Amino acid sequence: MSATPKIVSPTEAVVAVYVWELPVRLTHWLIVLSIAVLSVTGFYIGDPLIAVSGPARDHFVMGTMRVIHLYAAIVFALALFVRIYWLFVGNQYARWDQYLPVSRERLRNTWEALNFFSYWRRDPLPYPGQTGTAGLAYGVVFLIQFVMVLTGLALYTVYAAPNSLFQAFVFLIPLFRGLQMVHLIHHIGMWLLLVFMILHVYLSVLFSVTERNEIDSMFSGYKEREVTVVRETRDA
Amino acid sequence: MAREQSWLLDELKRRGISRREFLGFCAKMAAILALPSSAAGAIAKAVATGDKPILVWLEFQDCCGNTESFLRATRPTVAEIILDTFSVNYHETLMAAAGHQAEAALNQTVAGHPGQYIAVIEGSIPTGKNGAYCTIGGKSALQIAREVCGAAAATVAVGTCAAFGGIPAARPNPTGAVAVGDAVPDVKNLINLSACPMNAENITALLVYYLTVKQWPPLDQYRRPLFAYGKFIHDNCERRAHFDAGQYVEMWGDPAHRQGHCLYKMGCKGPATSQNCPVVRWNEATNWPIGCGHPCVGCAEPNFWDTMTPFYRRLPNVPGFGVGSNLDRIGIGAAAVVAAASLAHGIGEIVRHRVGTKPSDSDRPSGDKK
Ligand code: HEM
Ligand code: SF4
Ligand code: SF4
Repeated sequence: MSATPKIVSPTEAVVAVYVWELPVRLTHWLIVLSIAVLSVTGFYIGDPLIAVSGPARDHFVMGTMRVIHLYAAIVFALALFVRIYWLFVGNQYARWDQYLPVSRERLRNTWEALNFFSYWRRDPLPYPGQTGTAGLAYGVVFLIQFVMVLTGLALYTVYAAPNSLFQAFVFLIPLFRGLQMVHLIHHIGMWLLLVFMILHVYLSVLFSVTERNEIDSMFSGYKEREVTVVRETRDA
Repeated sequence: MAREQSWLLDELKRRGISRREFLGFCAKMAAILALPSSAAGAIAKAVATGDKPILVWLEFQDCCGNTESFLRATRPTVAEIILDTFSVNYHETLMAAAGHQAEAALNQTVAGHPGQYIAVIEGSIPTGKNGAYCTIGGKSALQIAREVCGAAAATVAVGTCAAFGGIPAARPNPTGAVAVGDAVPDVKNLINLSACPMNAENITALLVYYLTVKQWPPLDQYRRPLFAYGKFIHDNCERRAHFDAGQYVEMWGDPAHRQGHCLYKMGCKGPATSQNCPVVRWNEATNWPIGCGHPCVGCAEPNFWDTMTPFYRRLPNVPGFGVGSNLDRIGIGAAAVVAAASLAHGIGEIVRHRVGTKPSDSDRPSGDKK
């Protein structure tokens, strides 16, 4: 642990643990922003609700939405790929094994977190990174985001020029059973991500109250944790 | 140049089609094939003087729609005479011969000209119950297709059923219907001319290309010729400006419909379907579905019936939510449920006075004892 314990009382100390490195924080907020833009424009593409009248040449509403969607998609895809790269080179809290219940410790952690959410366990969770449950949920979210990029690229082949490099992705279309299914999966993915976001925001608020500075940590990188110093030194 | 004064030109004269009209046809074929107009001369020469290729046309699980499409002309067209350029040795709907005579003609072609004839297949091929769902002269469609396509120089699968299984292969596919390409794994030079039915202009152009270039044209990933399937309906649609502007038909006969706005919200599958309908059109270029105000139903694509329905909705049904389900409504519902559950959980936290309480030593978690 990087910071030295600060004595609060004879038995308790608060340590600041550096959990989220800069690339993690940066990609997190880029992904939040781009998903917001992608969802607004994507919702319009899926169900264009704005009505415009007059000659077609005076308007470019769908065209504009699609352009914004595609620029946001570039930001989103690049941020996601940086984050995926960081799964393999980042610190212990950012690594890929946090997103799979692979070790015994992760499994126990998952169990403890489930107990916490079902009110069974009274204590907040002491682990500074993600709990096993959250890690697993984020693992699924990574997967959904990856599928969004794949289906997005498959949809883009419809608009890309015939000799564009993006035509390399046409092979994805039959894997999803045709373009209509690609549209459907891409659209379902949006709703899954939005539902996840509601839960995610709620839990972040909950942990900010039960623990400390959960939300703040995604800006600063540090999480504060209470440790029982006296007992630990005696144990050692 | 003994063949210069070919039977074809005589035939055209006999049927009252001028040489000028014939050249016009060749220019049109050059246009469909996206060749420069100078290619028309080469096409005319190749068509008028080439050898007579042999063609057999088999129908399996079909509705005869592709045959109809080919014959639908209101007067004898050059295209029909092009078909006469081919020696059609077998065609269930058209041939005069019947029964054993017809079988004999087919066997003679397959045995007598192996690797030389072109097989045109219409309809899907049932594999269930050992092929019992479709038999001709005591042989299953599967057997016939393997024999005939296996020995053909090329196989042209006309219509979506032959190309991709089509309607017979739609869920739950009671007959185990498959496309020609799946039924005959060792098929050579398979060309899929999907659509329901295929456009007569496209098979004519395909055959003209073959006569002229002596090769089959470049294909897409579903083995469809790029000249006919290289672009999406949406790419060349005359309503595209309204799509980009954001002007959509909301209801049949509403002002937007009367003004020819985009049919996207009425379920148009043009953005998911490749074919040259907007350019070549139908019924001798009279019009085409979107031109007369009806959305494209995506007839030329694999899994046509399963993924392009409901025809008047943009997206397929959401699996598990029944016919006509609205994805956005389901999504909003799910978001509301999760938001409500979060709220309830939060209230539960407050009620149990958990928020803000310090952990008690007694139930210190095991993971903490480092
Ligand atoms: C979390 C990220 C994303 C969300 C929430 C999202 C949302 C959506 C939605 C709801 C649609 C309409 C689907 C339909 O009903 O047909 C759509 C269309 C589309 N999206 Fe995305 N999208 C995301 C990421 C991407 C990415 C990474 C790309 C990459 C190129 C992309 C490219 C497209 C394209 C090309 C379309 C089709 C537009 C059309 O059919 O006219 N999207 N998106
Ligand atoms: S009518 Fe269909 S094909 Fe034409 S622009 Fe609209 S969505 Fe595209
Ligand atoms: S417009 Fe669409 S549904 Fe109609 S024939 Fe063309 S591809 Fe088939």
